[in-house]
Amino acid sequence: MVRAALSGRTRIGREPAPYAPYVPAATVVVGSLLAALPIISMSGWYPDFGFVVLISWRLLRADPWPAWWAAPLGLINDLFTGLPIGFSVALWSATMLLLDLIDRRTMWRDYWIEWVLAAVLLAIDQWLQWQLARTMGADLPRTRMLPPIAISVCIFPPSAWIVARMDAWRLRR
Amino acid sequence: MVATARPGWSRRAQYGLFFSFLAVIAGIVVGVILLTMSLVAPKAFQTVRGAALDVTGPVAGALHEVTATASGVFTGAGNYWDAANQNAKLKRERQTMLRRMVEAKAIVQENQQLKATLQLREHDQNVVAVGRIVGSSFNSLRRFAILSAGGKDGVRIGMPVRSADGLVGRIIDAGTLASRVMLVSDRANIVPARLLRGGIPVIAQGRGDGTIDVRPLEVGRNPFKRGDIIITSGTGGLYPPLVPVARVVKLDDDGAVALPLADPSMISFAIVEPPFEPAAVAAESAPQAEDTP
Repeated sequence: MVRAALSGRTRIGREPAPYAPYVPAATVVVGSLLAALPIISMSGWYPDFGFVVLISWRLLRADPWPAWWAAPLGLINDLFTGLPIGFSVALWSATMLLLDLIDRRTMWRDYWIEWVLAAVLLAIDQWLQWQLARTMGADLPRTRMLPPIAISVCIFPPSAWIVARMDAWRLRR
Repeated sequence: MVATARPGWSRRAQYGLFFSFLAVIAGIVVGVILLTMSLVAPKAFQTVRGAALDVTGPVAGALHEVTATASGVFTGAGNYWDAANQNAKLKRERQTMLRRMVEAKAIVQENQQLKATLQLREHDQNVVAVGRIVGSSFNSLRRFAILSAGGKDGVRIGMPVRSADGLVGRIIDAGTLASRVMLVSDRANIVPARLLRGGIPVIAQGRGDGTIDVRPLEVGRNPFKRGDIIITSGTGGLYPPLVPVARVVKLDDDGAVALPLADPSMISFAIVEPPFEPAAVAAESAPQAEDTP
């Protein structure tokens, strides 16, 4: 009791923000919109921010949004990043399903396992983008995939941290 | 919502989860169908892609304005630092430039006379629109840039884009206010070109990392030297001839690696031109319309 009195912040009467259910999806859209930044890069090594934010939320919680929201969020990502329309729709929906199946199988989770999962998903994303570029007539060497994979894997921990802070903020924890 | 979890005995909860599972499957199916459509029939999504560009293009343009101003202030302050020396140097440079300009004018006149005697047909190059490069596909393996000119200014899909320094690329998506350019350094962008020195026909293809692969059309001795300039040949009818494309920086087995002369991050303005020979482009793109995403 004494400690609770000292902590200063009362936990009674604090409820989630009214817009709390929409915060995760909104942050994913913001991630996709980062593609509008005026960065003129010759290499294209920046990560797919929308996808990084999406898996950060999904690995933090099982229910950031109804699972089918992944499809419209993917469509927004396709439109703003200039990927062929349908790519993120399919990939993001499949990611939601895959992570649901993994949730049923895993006995326990920690940060390392989440990072490995995220790394595998980001590598799959880049590999599919590479395959897509090949079918569209841009036959790039396989090694061209490695720098973007490495960079997005390194971007995941900061993204997961920001997402955890956002989650605490929206739920007023 | 965990679409595949076991909800217990509640029928209602079971159905809810089952339908959310179906919704995710439907999302995947719809995504695959859309992707197939955008690969097989790229023109199907032209309008919606253009509309998305109209949302992001002006945002990128405004942000670009801010960063350009900020960097301009810093370089401006730097210029004052060494003003006296710089002034003297610029004066010297101006003298030499004036001499060069007189020479160049003489050459232009001579050239006109020679062309008149040869009766070469001159194409009048009319500019469709002028815009700035305000963004790029920095999170993709493909090399695209966003141009701050769109359908409102007369930009159409397939038009070549160049700057004062050299060739930039060609338009692949056009919105009303902005458009997307496939840069010459994109893997799928193949430019018919030739060597400025000697006029040997070559093919320039992007490498996806800001550089360009150049290969001679005729197999045999490697014709390239370091520092060679590659210019467009006008073959194929899309790109106008005699536009500088790239400078050779490294030789390899049967060709060379070149750097584009128009660096999209450095050029201030990009010029959209009509296709060089529209009839030829139409004839060529009719059987194989596969290069736009």
